[in-house]
Amino acid sequence: MTDADANIAEVSLCPVLDLQAAEPLRAELMALRGRPLQIDASQVSRLGGLCLQVLLSARISWAEDGLPLRIEQASDGFLEQLAAFGAPQINFEPEGAHL
Amino acid sequence: MDPFESIKATFFQECEELLTDMESGLLAMEQGDDDSETINAVFRAVHSVKGGAGAFGLEELIRFAHVFETVLDEMRSGKLHLTDEVAKVLLRASDVLADHVAAARSGGSVDEGRTVGMIADLQALIDQDRAAELGLNDDGDPNAGEEDFGFVPVVLSLDEPTADAPEVDVAALMAAAAAEPAEAANPVAAPGWRITFRPKAEMYAKANEAALVLRELARLGEVEVALDADAVPPLDQLSAEQAYLTWTIRLSGDKSEAEVREVFEFVEDDCELEVTREGETAAADVATPADDDASASAVEAAAAAPLDLDALLARVAGSAEEPAPPAAPEPVAAAPAAPPAPPAQAPANLDVVGLIALAEKASQDHAQTQAVAPKVEQKAEPKAEARASAGAPTAATPTIRVDLDRVDRLINAVGELVIQQAMLSQRVFESGLARSSDVALGLEDLELLTREIQDSVMAIRAQPVKSVFQRMPRLVREVADMVGKKVRLVMDGENTEVDKTVIERLSDPITHMLRNAIDHGLETPEEREAGGKAAEGTVRLAALHRGGRIVIEVQDDGRGINRPRVRGIAVSKGLIAEDAVLSDDEIDNLIFLPGFSTADVVSDISGRGVGMDVVKRSIQALGGRISITSEPGKGSKFSMSLPLTLAVLDGMVVSAADQTLVAPLSNIVESLTPRAEDVHLIGGRDAVICIRDTFVPLIDVGVALGFRDTPLPPASGVAVLVESEGGGKAALLVEAIQGQRQVVIKSLEANYQHIHGVAAATILGDGRVALILDVDALVTTSRRKAPRIEKRMAV
Repeated sequence: MTDADANIAEVSLCPVLDLQAAEPLRAELMALRGRPLQIDASQVSRLGGLCLQVLLSARISWAEDGLPLRIEQASDGFLEQLAAFGAPQINFEPEGAHL
Repeated sequence: MDPFESIKATFFQECEELLTDMESGLLAMEQGDDDSETINAVFRAVHSVKGGAGAFGLEELIRFAHVFETVLDEMRSGKLHLTDEVAKVLLRASDVLADHVAAARSGGSVDEGRTVGMIADLQALIDQDRAAELGLNDDGDPNAGEEDFGFVPVVLSLDEPTADAPEVDVAALMAAAAAEPAEAANPVAAPGWRITFRPKAEMYAKANEAALVLRELARLGEVEVALDADAVPPLDQLSAEQAYLTWTIRLSGDKSEAEVREVFEFVEDDCELEVTREGETAAADVATPADDDASASAVEAAAAAPLDLDALLARVAGSAEEPAPPAAPEPVAAAPAAPPAPPAQAPANLDVVGLIALAEKASQDHAQTQAVAPKVEQKAEPKAEARASAGAPTAATPTIRVDLDRVDRLINAVGELVIQQAMLSQRVFESGLARSSDVALGLEDLELLTREIQDSVMAIRAQPVKSVFQRMPRLVREVADMVGKKVRLVMDGENTEVDKTVIERLSDPITHMLRNAIDHGLETPEEREAGGKAAEGTVRLAALHRGGRIVIEVQDDGRGINRPRVRGIAVSKGLIAEDAVLSDDEIDNLIFLPGFSTADVVSDISGRGVGMDVVKRSIQALGGRISITSEPGKGSKFSMSLPLTLAVLDGMVVSAADQTLVAPLSNIVESLTPRAEDVHLIGGRDAVICIRDTFVPLIDVGVALGFRDTPLPPASGVAVLVESEGGGKAALLVEAIQGQRQVVIKSLEANYQHIHGVAAATILGDGRVALILDVDALVTTSRRKAPRIEKRMAV
């Protein structure tokens, strides 16, 4: 294990990402800034527009920091809804970096 | 479950909450609360019901909700003022809306006559002020109102530019164009649509979801969804409830514009929406590259369809707010396109480019206004919610929605755990291990832990009685209307919690008691005034915890029980002997006897063949008791007390005739060993025991339940002094007391049938079934057998 590996932040998304989940998710992600981020989307059954914004916003912030951000084990529900939203890119890989 | 069905089920669950919020708000309004937050909360509730109904195509519900919502909207905008009459109509409308929801849920139908009548009443409210402007026509076409909300006259003024043209209200124009862009220029279906959909924060705040809208759209045909997320700021600048995304959807298929717009019906006020036909977009796109040919073709296009000017403006309105690059080139292209429309009349100084620039600025201002508006609304909302939940703690704790079935399974499993734990304890005890051994001590800890788990699990299923109470104002209104009485319902203790299984079964008895109180208890307004009372009667419905049980009281300030009449009826119906001497309390409680009805005329309200005896039985089936106290001329009070849960019970384990039985601890006052000289036989048959100078019936449980025929010899066994809910005391004679423990209740009715004197059963530590005594029934039976009352009173 490298030092970078040890520093990876992990967050697990809750099953229902609706209006109520947006601010908690934003706060949770904010707290993890400055570290490579691995987001576990395996439990997600519903992804709403506001939480999508939070994830996209996180991507921008992580990209600004030049740190990788990656969705892991996305559930079918998550992938389907992401596709319905026009399949925006959430993962961010800085050049040469890997999680 | 089919995912669609499960979404629908969730919708109906939400509807329940919304209807509850709505009614709370309306009741507050009835009390004169005309705060805009209250009205907004009610409006939001009705709007959300309508929105959800739209997704499931519940036409009737939508139709009614729409009219209802229109009235509330009038109030919101201050055009219609809150009066008593308005509040009453709204409350009745809320009842009809609830009926519609219930009908939609069960697939049943609603009373069409009532709906039509209600719609007429609602429209009458609107007509008071602004019938003409609203354009709600007599046939109740819900769309009629909306169609007239446009800003058409302003748009028209642009088609015929005069000297006034430059003073056109551009902001209004932009709003109109954005709301109704390119209104069905060509109603014939074309190959596809280009839809730009930009939700506003309000849309999410009203619990509408972009994902659902997109999904609905996808049902119309093949879609290509492109997301524009350029407006999304980095995380530290993001406001989680603000809306930043814009979707552009290309929809292929032959759907009409109306069908496409229908998808957005419930969000159209809360999003920016542009629906253009692919072909039209293409024409505009041709004009976009600002080269020589483009100008010509744009002029041609504009000349061919001069009315498209406003469509173009609409596009400008849309793109002006878009951060995307096309915003700039388009006005350039539009400039040469515009003049051909009014070539002759156009005054030389009509500067269309200037107009468009102005329009752009206006639309930006508009966007800024909107960016401010949501913040205001967001601020207002939590306050409104807090008001709606009257008295609830302001800081909302996070909650989850769980299938009741899952909780029930958990509770059953914990019940089994309790039984297993008891069995294990018993085995250990039987094996002769010392009480101080590690195993025994460990078991004690386990017992404590089990109990804690059980309490926590039961707390999950505990709910405030509010859900039942909230249905009652409606009932009271309806009953009061039917019998022509004026009634004020006062409710107390709505937040008292009780197990969900109990709650579900509270509704019928409370309904019946309220009906009874209004129909029989309260006098008519004339009688009340003649008796020096206020014309309006008061009925109080209260819930409270007392002694580990929940007590529900229904109290009226009516005439009270007419005891001579009750007694006369009981005698005439052969329920009591003519010479029976009864206390006032006993006379009052005669109304619970089967076959007793005091109403001279059987009314629709309470005398529908269901007497108070049925109420009593249904309450007893829940392990509850009911009693009445009354004061002539001042009113009556029904009290029913029910266990907080139907799942567990603290009991005293006793044995009688080789059977193990459980007496609920809540009934037990004390236990004693009877002395022979204290036991007396009355009439040579019925035993009484003297306890501290008071005689109480001595009931041999083994005999009462038919386990044996001969009573225990006097001075043997143990007498357990019990008290029934009505306050009646008796001593239960059993052979021995084994101990006290918590038992899991297993319903006899559900698994076998009702047995008089037995409330339920349980499984003991040794695996045997033990019956749980129905103390109230045993005591009542013994009282009825008391010498002065004839034995036929016994059930």
